[in-house]
Amino acid sequence: MGTLLATSLSSPWVTAKGVFQSGPDFIAQVFASETARPGVLWLTADIRQQAQNILDRPVGGLRVRYHIAGGKTAWILEEIGKEMPITIGVIIHQDKIEQVKILAYRESRGGEVRYPAYTAQYRGASLTQNMRLNQNIDGITGATLSVWAVNKVAALALYYHSQLDKAD
Amino acid sequence: MDIKKSIILNLRWHRRIGLSVFVVMIFLAITGFALNHSPGLNLSKINLTNGWLLSWYGVAPQKSEGYSIANNWVYGTGTEELYFNDQALGYCPPPLASVATTDQLIVALCGESLSILTPQGLLVETFNQVQGLPVNSTGLATIEQTIIVLGETEAWEFDPDLLNLNAVDDLSVLSQATILQPQSLPLAFSNGDTSGGISLETLIIDLHSGRFFGDAGVLFVDIVGLLICLLAFTGLWAWVNHQRLRKQ
Repeated sequence: MGTLLATSLSSPWVTAKGVFQSGPDFIAQVFASETARPGVLWLTADIRQQAQNILDRPVGGLRVRYHIAGGKTAWILEEIGKEMPITIGVIIHQDKIEQVKILAYRESRGGEVRYPAYTAQYRGASLTQNMRLNQNIDGITGATLSVWAVNKVAALALYYHSQLDKAD
Repeated sequence: MDIKKSIILNLRWHRRIGLSVFVVMIFLAITGFALNHSPGLNLSKINLTNGWLLSWYGVAPQKSEGYSIANNWVYGTGTEELYFNDQALGYCPPPLASVATTDQLIVALCGESLSILTPQGLLVETFNQVQGLPVNSTGLATIEQTIIVLGETEAWEFDPDLLNLNAVDDLSVLSQATILQPQSLPLAFSNGDTSGGISLETLIIDLHSGRFFGDAGVLFVDIVGLLICLLAFTGLWAWVNHQRLRKQ
């Protein structure tokens, strides 16, 4: 499966640079049938420390935005692949990932992570106790750093979602 | 030609070619090794700002500028970082177009995002074009504690709490706006400004390919490449001849 995915997604003609969907459009699409309420998660020292463990780097910013409706949350987060940030939308429902979508990709190579065939692997993933995804995600040849970035953001969104009850 | 003469002739050329490409081959091996490990060595992050080098590349050295706010300096660098004094705050795609301030916060407009800071220089959050910042944002202004995002023909009031932008209907109010002007950075900070430099990775790639010396350099490296191939063939031929001699 891993080889198949890697082969089908690897293409020297894929540049894949650009903004594929704006944040507001992503939120509107996800919560099409319900009105989502915007919210802010303040990054306390504990949250910041755990987020740093997930990302392997210090977290910037004092707060993170999300949208929520019917227990479902939407997060738009950024993580650097090789040199440029990838903007990623993550939908969480009942502590599991419902959708991962690459909203903007700025690197010159590795944009294959935006394909639904790749992002579908995250569906149903949840967070283990050691703050990693509980599902194996097949990599993509030539896009290793982008894959790591998406994995980290997916885990971070799950962690932030888990902190909402505590924050409330 | 008998085999001994063939061996002598072959070895003579092998030695000549080897000697002629020896220095360049070592150079290409070292630069190739460096490029292979460029991400690990962070070569793309090392900026060279030597005046002679910049003029060779036709890059004009840029004046280091920033925004002075209550004895603090907000500025961007060529490494795509936003700085508050000597503190790096995160991704800020150049150019740093404008900075505006209220009593509660400082807002910096980078290439495609707004960075919202506390007056003490802590990054609160960023607001980028994917999140709804207009693509044609060109600058920032302040009118009575309200941050205004300026476009080419429009302007928007920015609500930093909700990250909302509301169009300014009457653009004549902009005549009362305060717009901060960039100033020359103090030396203590401008040393860290690497905008306009050439990365070490770029320099090594250009040296490795010969592009640094123009078309002549590329041709030279091409010829060296051919000679290295020839060196391999003469080496192989020497080995074949040696085997034939042993059989005889």
